[in-house]
Amino acid sequence: MAVPFHERADMKRSLTFLTVVAAASLALTSCSGGGAGGESKDGAKAELTFWHGYTEADGKVLNKIVDDFNASQNEVSIKVQTNPWSVIDDTLLPALSSGKGPDIVAMPAERLPVYADKGAFVQLDDFYKNPSSNLDKLIPAAADMETVNGHKYGVPSGFVPLAMFYNKSLFAKAGITTPPTTWDEWIAAAKKLTVDENNDGTPEQYGLGLPDHATVANGVWPSLFYGNGGNVVKDGKAVVDSPENAQTLKTWVDAIRNDKISPAGLDGIAGDKLFSSGKAAMYLGGPWMSSIATENKIDYGIAAVPAGPKDQAASAIGISMGITTQKDEAKAAAAQKFFTYFLQKEQATAWSLGSGWPPLRSDIPASDVAANPVVEALTKQSEFGRPLLPGVVNSTDVLTAVDKLTQRAVAGENIQDLLKETQASVQKIVDAK
Amino acid sequence: MSTTMHKKTTAAPRYRAPAPLGGRRNPAIGQRRKNIQALAFLIPALLVLGAFTAWPMISALRLSFTDASGFGKEKWVGLENYARIFTDPVILNAVVNTALYALLFTPMAVVLALVLALLLNDPRLPFRGFFRTALFLPFIISLAVAAIAWSYLIDPQVGLLNYWLGNAGIRIGNVLQDPVLAMPAVAFVAVWKSFGFYMVIFLAGLQEIPGSLYEAAKVDGAGPLMRFRHVTMPMLSNTTAFVLIFALIAALQAFDQIYVMTGGGPYGHTETVVMQIYKSGFQKLDVGFASALSYVLLAATLLLSVVQFVFFGKREREGD
Repeated sequence: MAVPFHERADMKRSLTFLTVVAAASLALTSCSGGGAGGESKDGAKAELTFWHGYTEADGKVLNKIVDDFNASQNEVSIKVQTNPWSVIDDTLLPALSSGKGPDIVAMPAERLPVYADKGAFVQLDDFYKNPSSNLDKLIPAAADMETVNGHKYGVPSGFVPLAMFYNKSLFAKAGITTPPTTWDEWIAAAKKLTVDENNDGTPEQYGLGLPDHATVANGVWPSLFYGNGGNVVKDGKAVVDSPENAQTLKTWVDAIRNDKISPAGLDGIAGDKLFSSGKAAMYLGGPWMSSIATENKIDYGIAAVPAGPKDQAASAIGISMGITTQKDEAKAAAAQKFFTYFLQKEQATAWSLGSGWPPLRSDIPASDVAANPVVEALTKQSEFGRPLLPGVVNSTDVLTAVDKLTQRAVAGENIQDLLKETQASVQKIVDAK
Repeated sequence: MSTTMHKKTTAAPRYRAPAPLGGRRNPAIGQRRKNIQALAFLIPALLVLGAFTAWPMISALRLSFTDASGFGKEKWVGLENYARIFTDPVILNAVVNTALYALLFTPMAVVLALVLALLLNDPRLPFRGFFRTALFLPFIISLAVAAIAWSYLIDPQVGLLNYWLGNAGIRIGNVLQDPVLAMPAVAFVAVWKSFGFYMVIFLAGLQEIPGSLYEAAKVDGAGPLMRFRHVTMPMLSNTTAFVLIFALIAALQAFDQIYVMTGGGPYGHTETVVMQIYKSGFQKLDVGFASALSYVLLAATLLLSVVQFVFFGKREREGD
């Protein structure tokens, strides 16, 4: 019998050859396919795609704003595609690689610098300087959020500082009538609200749900640092290792470890659960905590993050919108037209009420959005909002380093050593770009 | 000597091979026709393989020498990415974690699979079919789903495992946040999910061992342990090599359950090489570096597989 077919040397060579040919031919076809984006002809309608992750009620409001925009003029037509935020993050990279990405894309604010630094977004400096663009009416902190390497690359679609959500019924049981406004009041209230009935060392009820890593938008500990006048990165330099931050860490680590006001080792998701299950009386969270609390039948209140010894500030959660069409100026201009429309007073108010987040314009007072009490309460705290690591491209790494710092500090390690270590690694990360 | 007619002899007829395709005159035509037919059936699979395996591998190799982000401009950086792999402490931490994970996962999974296969191979065990299916079932579900289920089971607040152990007086606390326990926990989930596959392979290998060898050993006075050492293990060495290589490759690629359960935490204690590849490529848009890291992982896996194969290959030859 002849040598089996699959073992003949010449067939092996042919098979290898065929596979490589198939691969190469596909490579060639894909190479030629890219880059052939749709170019808008002069005078014809500019057709744009807009990816965002607003689903449910807020998505409906945003889509209506887009529809109204489309109806209000003839030069631009925007088509919306909604996907969950994580799906957008996962699919944006391949979409951009193949040239089939959206023209406008919304993403969490900390992702913007990563893409902007790699050249994914159109620079918007001139747009910001244009007086008729409505961008001068933006809350300054929200505009800061969009700056990368000294240039503006996005327009905010959401900006809200972390707020303190508190459980009114637990407060009433402990005899506390008003939410704390300073750190001293805060820790005192937390101690009062920490209940360990059977004295086994593990409280059944905690005064505060304070995660030590993977916090909401990574903003909890930066908010605490701000309160005592400290920061993480300032003007491109790491400033983590400071006496103010050391004091902040000591204060809160002692409160967690010694007074047990919060479980140690908590992460953001577990913190959410702790508050929503009624086991924590206070929690720093985003606007969605209001619907989570309502779902779990918690009588909740919203207050500003209490003022620290030096400052009252809270890290803000943000969503940014960027324009990806680098090669087509007409499309970029069309997208900017949409942003201007989006930031008109009427639309900005409607968006704020619909999204449940405070208005982006600084000239819309809390009374204008009184129809939604959560929004009204959050708008009153807008002034305390600070963007997290604005313009820092490697913010993911910096936040990982900060997470490490806080997690190990709460676990009991030496704070001075940890701060020194974190300072060195954060500086390295910031320098790396 | 060619003859045009063959007379049947009165004894048993001589066997004649059937005429090859294309007739006796040119057997080569028939062979080529068979080749072309075979090729025609293979082309669709080759195309898929070329498109989804060969092409991405070639492309990744090219990308590993650039600072590409997957879109926009890319610059040739030569071996800079590879150099960074060997000097970046984060990557070295990931390599150490991956090695630790492999050391935990591979022996656990393989030994467990072998023990269960030996038990299941015993004809005296009742309901063998049921046990075989039940033990194989975890392998069918996706590792991510298994990880979600297990993370709820061991959750300190709502988990059943902590509840039962708590009733027995054992408190484990938050396993996934514990820098020491997190890695064994994620390794265990993978073992739970995968051992069924290795067990089935071992079963197949065990069933190939001729019963006569065991009988001969019994006659020689060998007890069960001796039979295992001198009959089962040598006869299984090929299978064991196969399973060990598979388990090691799976261990080096650990990602799914770690991403779901710990995200690489607590502070980097469970971060593996593939997690770093994912973070570099998809979160930091450093596709060039991620490609380089993928190739280093490939080289390491290949090297380890070859070493294992040679080691077991030698043993089999010695045993013959």
